[in-house]
Amino acid sequence: MSEPAIVAEDLTYRYGDLLAVDHISFTVAPGEILGFLGPNGAGKSTTVKMLTGQLRPASGRALLLGIDVARHPKQVQARIGVCFEQPNLYEELSGVDNLSLFAKLFGVRDVDINALLRRVGLDGRGADLVGRYSKGMKQRLMIARALVNRPDILFLDEPTEGLDPTSAEAIRRVILEEQQRGATIFLTTHDMYEADRLCNRVAFINSGKIVALDTPHHLKQQYGKRMVRAEVVGSDGKLLTREIILDRPETPAEIADLLAHQQVVTLHSEEATLEDIFIRLTGRGLA
Amino acid sequence: MSLRRILALLYREAVQGPKNFIFIFTIVVPLGLSLALGLIFGTFFSGKPRLGIVDPGASRLTQLAEAMPGLIVRRYASEAELRDATANGAVDVGLLVSADFDQRVLSGQSGSLTVYVWGESLLRDRVLIGTAIADWLRELAGHEPPVTIVTTMLGANNDLTWQQRLLPLLVLMTVVFGALMLPASSLVSEKQRRTLHALLVTPATRAEIYVAKGVLGVALSTVMALLVLALNGAWSSQIWLVLLVLFLGAVLSAEFGILLGVLVSDINSLFATVKALGLLLYAPALIALFPMIPQWIAQFFPTFYMVDPVIAIVQRGATLPDITGQLAVLGVMIVALAGALRVARER
Repeated sequence: MSEPAIVAEDLTYRYGDLLAVDHISFTVAPGEILGFLGPNGAGKSTTVKMLTGQLRPASGRALLLGIDVARHPKQVQARIGVCFEQPNLYEELSGVDNLSLFAKLFGVRDVDINALLRRVGLDGRGADLVGRYSKGMKQRLMIARALVNRPDILFLDEPTEGLDPTSAEAIRRVILEEQQRGATIFLTTHDMYEADRLCNRVAFINSGKIVALDTPHHLKQQYGKRMVRAEVVGSDGKLLTREIILDRPETPAEIADLLAHQQVVTLHSEEATLEDIFIRLTGRGLA
Repeated sequence: MSLRRILALLYREAVQGPKNFIFIFTIVVPLGLSLALGLIFGTFFSGKPRLGIVDPGASRLTQLAEAMPGLIVRRYASEAELRDATANGAVDVGLLVSADFDQRVLSGQSGSLTVYVWGESLLRDRVLIGTAIADWLRELAGHEPPVTIVTTMLGANNDLTWQQRLLPLLVLMTVVFGALMLPASSLVSEKQRRTLHALLVTPATRAEIYVAKGVLGVALSTVMALLVLALNGAWSSQIWLVLLVLFLGAVLSAEFGILLGVLVSDINSLFATVKALGLLLYAPALIALFPMIPQWIAQFFPTFYMVDPVIAIVQRGATLPDITGQLAVLGVMIVALAGALRVARER
């Protein structure tokens, strides 16, 4: 079995008295997309900063591609790409100049900047100053910047937040392309739909601790309730909702009773969403 | 440290620099002040040195002086008029030639010349006229004649003109504003716009980022300081020594600027800090403006060691051995600040 792309061992970080990340451990396999989910202040960004060498852990260690991040941050950073949540581009420079600068910093000579811009849907806009870009365009340029060195590991922090559906979809497509190329992707997001759709596994972090880490399918099986939701006409003529939990001995009888004695308007099977599971595990939402 | 990465970062600084108002200030303010001072104190467009002559015996010296294209010659009827003209600054140098001067020199006897010097005249003008008088005497006699020159200073009893006394302030403003504020503001701006985070997750190190920012500030302020010296008539024959001192001063300022950039979180705080430190930074130049203040007080301020050696070279003709001690102090401060930066960059 190949060596994990990311290994976090007992990672801990404190801001003064606040324990922001509390002894978390996990691994991410090469080529895997790991979703890192949690509400604001849960410790997601601090974890990413430790993994990318921006912060030194108070204790524990992080290995990326077998390299100790705290000891050799620049070796690690040469092989990763980071896309930040907030736009942090040089707005007085053009899109091409932004990418050229970072290509030079990474020592990449053979990068085709126009092809990169085309990939994120910015072809024809590379010569424009970034200050004139829309939010979606800036976000797509940030993705392009994170890809300039063909990273082995890609860290994406809320890459589609606040974007129009077209821009968001373009970014999701690039993420999947990068996975196909062989890159490992560490995706921080609030978007449960995105996590469910893109991630091989998701980790829930709350108050600095990982409370669950598994594939979305297993998490739903383990923590979610499968049910049938029906809309029926009540005795007063109004629509009522009935929920029947599946996988119990009495379930067949309850469904038979529903169909025999109620006027059913709609009938749907439902499974729990990742957000439902997060709320169940932590008692709080993701917002 | 990678030169390639530093050059890439420096290129970005240079491309973005001219859009930065501090960059524009670094160029415009010293030049503007130099021009203004030149206009106010009348030396910038004064052009040729002015020589006043009293010559009752129609000396050949006067003919030679009037034939010299780079000199304005004014004749006066009496010694009293010449003294008044010199004391009032109508001429830079007044020359009293006795009626029998040519005859004495040509017959091999010793002669004497009385020279009055206006106290606020430029050193450049004094030297030029002095050299010219020595040439005329050789031409008159055909050899080095035995002539005694009696010199009297007239007018303001100061060795330095106001323009010369303002020079330390101009040099400090140029070096400190450019080399300190350019890297400091650039670093703070990168922090505020979070572009620094983007740079720091590349192979570029903090040291490379700081060097790129510092180099632009040092280069621009050193060039501007040289220009300021030239515009203020303080160009020295020891230009390489002046350049060395300006360069070291700019390096110290840039280090301090980067340290401020590391410690300060936003551009308003940076300006507030520099404003608060202004008196400390400019104190040596302010002390030099007022000769009644004991000048040794200036030595307690770090910027004294970047400006005083420059002034010593261009105004007092100091050489390397004269300023070695000050350069050593400057060197120690540069090393100490580099150490402080090393500690601060771990923050």
